[in-house]
Amino acid sequence: MMTLSLAIRNLLRNRRRSLATLLAMAIGAASILLFGGFSGNIILEMHTRNVQRGGHLQIQHRDFFLFGSGNPTAYGISDYNDIIKAIQSDDVLENLIAVVTPTLQFGGIAGNYAASVSRTVIGTGYVASDINRMRSWNDFGLRSKAPVSVLAGAPPETAVVGVGVARVLQMCDALHVDKCAPPQVKADDNASALPDDIAQLSLQESVATPLGPARHIEVLIVNSRGAPNVTALEVIQAEDQGIKELDEITLITHLEKIQKLVYGAAQPRVTSIVIQLRHSDQLEIARQRLQPILDRYSSHQPLALMDFRMLNPFFVQTEQMFDTIFGFVFLLIGAIVLFTVNNTMNTAVVERTVEIGTLRAIGLRRVGIRRLFVTEGALLGICGAALGVLLALLLSELINRLDIPWVPPSMVEPVPLTILVSSNPALILKTTLGLICIATLSAWWPAYRAAKLSVVDALRHV
Amino acid sequence: MHRRSFLPLCGLFCVSDAVLAQTTVAPNAAAMLAASDAIRNPSQPFSVTVTLTEFQAGKQIDTSTLTSYSRIQPNGQFASLVRFVQPARDAGKLMLKNGNDMWFYDPASKASVRLSPQQRLLGQASNGDVATVNLARDYTATLAATEDIKDGERQTRRAHKLALAASAPDVTYASIELWVDAADNRPIKARFYAESSRLLKTAYYRRFQPQLGANRPTETVIIDGLNPQSVTLLRLSDYTARDIPQTWMQRDFLPRFQPD
Amino acid sequence: MTDQGPASQPAAPEAPVALLTGVAKTYHMDAVDVPVIKGVDILVRHACFTVVLGPSGSGKTTLLNMIGCIDKPDAGEVVIAGTKVGELSDDALSDFRAKNIGFIFQNFNLLPVLSAYENVEYPLVLAGVPPKIRAERVPRLLEAVGLADRAKNLPGQLSGGQRQRVAIARALARKPKLVIADEPTANLDSQTGEAILGLMRRLVIKNKISFIFSSHDHAVIRSADDTIFLKDGVIGGIRRRPMEAAT
Repeated sequence: MMTLSLAIRNLLRNRRRSLATLLAMAIGAASILLFGGFSGNIILEMHTRNVQRGGHLQIQHRDFFLFGSGNPTAYGISDYNDIIKAIQSDDVLENLIAVVTPTLQFGGIAGNYAASVSRTVIGTGYVASDINRMRSWNDFGLRSKAPVSVLAGAPPETAVVGVGVARVLQMCDALHVDKCAPPQVKADDNASALPDDIAQLSLQESVATPLGPARHIEVLIVNSRGAPNVTALEVIQAEDQGIKELDEITLITHLEKIQKLVYGAAQPRVTSIVIQLRHSDQLEIARQRLQPILDRYSSHQPLALMDFRMLNPFFVQTEQMFDTIFGFVFLLIGAIVLFTVNNTMNTAVVERTVEIGTLRAIGLRRVGIRRLFVTEGALLGICGAALGVLLALLLSELINRLDIPWVPPSMVEPVPLTILVSSNPALILKTTLGLICIATLSAWWPAYRAAKLSVVDALRHV
Repeated sequence: MHRRSFLPLCGLFCVSDAVLAQTTVAPNAAAMLAASDAIRNPSQPFSVTVTLTEFQAGKQIDTSTLTSYSRIQPNGQFASLVRFVQPARDAGKLMLKNGNDMWFYDPASKASVRLSPQQRLLGQASNGDVATVNLARDYTATLAATEDIKDGERQTRRAHKLALAASAPDVTYASIELWVDAADNRPIKARFYAESSRLLKTAYYRRFQPQLGANRPTETVIIDGLNPQSVTLLRLSDYTARDIPQTWMQRDFLPRFQPD
Repeated sequence: MTDQGPASQPAAPEAPVALLTGVAKTYHMDAVDVPVIKGVDILVRHACFTVVLGPSGSGKTTLLNMIGCIDKPDAGEVVIAGTKVGELSDDALSDFRAKNIGFIFQNFNLLPVLSAYENVEYPLVLAGVPPKIRAERVPRLLEAVGLADRAKNLPGQLSGGQRQRVAIARALARKPKLVIADEPTANLDSQTGEAILGLMRRLVIKNKISFIFSSHDHAVIRSADDTIFLKDGVIGGIRRRPMEAAT
């Protein structure tokens, strides 16, 4: 205790210097924590969004993820209803799962032939009532809310498209999409005209098939046997998908309608069974439980269980990027703390050389001298880190209360800027311990040098 | 490659099993169908020059010329090898349609690509399916009505309306309405439907001329069912009977093809 | 009490508290070697008030350093309280010093962050002496040096003489065999210095502790039992006064 008491009093001896060191450490610690809280929030937002859209786990045909984008319907899962029933009747999974729902992905062409435009789309058929159940997932208690899809409760002949699709199909006014000036098509006046007699034939056909109002589209797909099939859908909403590339190809509609289009009278299939859990940390338990069910139904079709990280590589990359940056920030600030404390302790050693000699003379061992200075360094570390934590908590509370709106990457609506420090004890602990270690370590070298001094030379020091 | 100049018009002409049974007008729907097939297509292997013109909203937007080499494979499947002639940017490119497989080959890059059914939804690839349908082989015909319709030259004709239902599992069109002339079983008009009973294409056959032993339609007008502003005109000329070996109708042969 | 005159000595002499044999020390400065102690033999008597007398530069400090075990000789042997200190490791030496030797410095060398009480207490804490015994001994020590009322003062609040008294109390805290003081009165005025010397002398007699200090002032000969004359690194002579009987 003497060591501690001595260390405290020695630190208080030169208040200005100790305070400066403390402040440097505190600002460093606070910076680390604020950045960690900021990036932590972004990751949680992205995590939540991914789970809202695609669940935690998806059962798919084994090759669908890598090869399915060329021809999704070729990778359909048969007996999907049996699989879903098996999942729902498992008592362990019952407590873990929030939503289980089948989806069918398909490729096709959506056309607004009143305006003579069409666009290739990648569509997904959902059980409409499940979409909003999935979107209500908010296990992390974030302040942002997912937009409600109007497809739930809408008639089966309806669809939702991305805003890019709405733009290309010139349905902006009908769907209230902004920033949508129709493109100026340069008319080629030199082109020869359709011969009259053929024009007449064409006209005959036009009357035969009346075109629907502005929100109608024709969706042309290839059915499971390779033949084209087409249906009319009414677009009831243009929804921002968050990423421009997705906006331009997305079509969401009702599962049953698409199944009938693709599979006709044959047994319908789905390309994915989406499973959303109540809590993300139960993913591994769920996976263990699901694997035997999969194996049971894999006799004639290879099935795979994909988790949302495998399905969203962008999310994993973002996570890794933030982790890397965090590590870099921590190293940087750690280096600053190292040098600051080292400098402070070195100065202290030089100032107290005579004292060190005295202590040695009256019988303090070398290790005792080292302990003295290392304790001072550790104390600086503890106080600096504690102050930093306090500072970070205060600042983050303040910022969170200000409700500054911003749009995180791959989100569609502005959310209030949130920095998660107080809800992240692991971050606080890691940072605090790390900085204390660094401060203690950086005091070690000056302490070692102090202990190595020859007693006589130390006593002689001016 | 340009989708618009994509023309798998190979095998415009499918030869049915019942060869040249068109001399008598039979009230039997299947016989009528077979007869109309025989009018459209010569039975022996042949080559023909195809001129394609595309119109959109009344204005011509593209035109191309191709040479098509067609034959019936031993398994009864129809196959066509099509060579692009015009425009110059597409000259030399090849298309192979063998049954349900469609291949595209570019001599400049020596690359050959198989087209998936989805890729054939767009552009001229979809028209190719209209032209190459082997009706008698893939569909069962029933006589739906006998009525007067306006033909491709806007003349009124008395026609038998045949309702064709797909009998083979992987045909492109789930059902077809085909009007054949009551007098001589000439195909006049056809409507091609998807499984959901939506109209996908309408075709008018016109400008019948003697070619390779029969009066055949040398012009087909194809009107897109979803977008009636989109019209394609097929003009056929220079029918020539010739020897076409079976080896031509393979994807591996494409790089070695030499026109004569 | 036996009736003995001042000339008669007690029968059995105690073992010397310090015995130096052939001790030499050279300082190495840049390119020059400076011999400071050139081979001395010294016997420091037990319970004696010994002074090392010599002009500045004679090697007094070096000699005391070697006796105090904070420096090692280049030649010769140093035996303190029967222990050959040359054979001890650094840690053992530290422990030896803590237990057997007390130090008093010219500049007092108190820990500025500790109060008088705590400064005196410090060696006891280092030794692991239980708090109860500390609480008993420290006030007595402070009283012995006449600073009982200044226990809570920091060194910065004490005069030079008071600080030296605290230093003396600290030096005596662990009841050492030998107390070493290097020019203890050099930074004090003559009156205070005399008082300090007197205090040290009384403590020596009272507690039977050996005391050795250095000085260049010939006047201290009067107070000392033994005087060791040091000049240019060699012993000029030793004068020993017969020990007084305890009264």
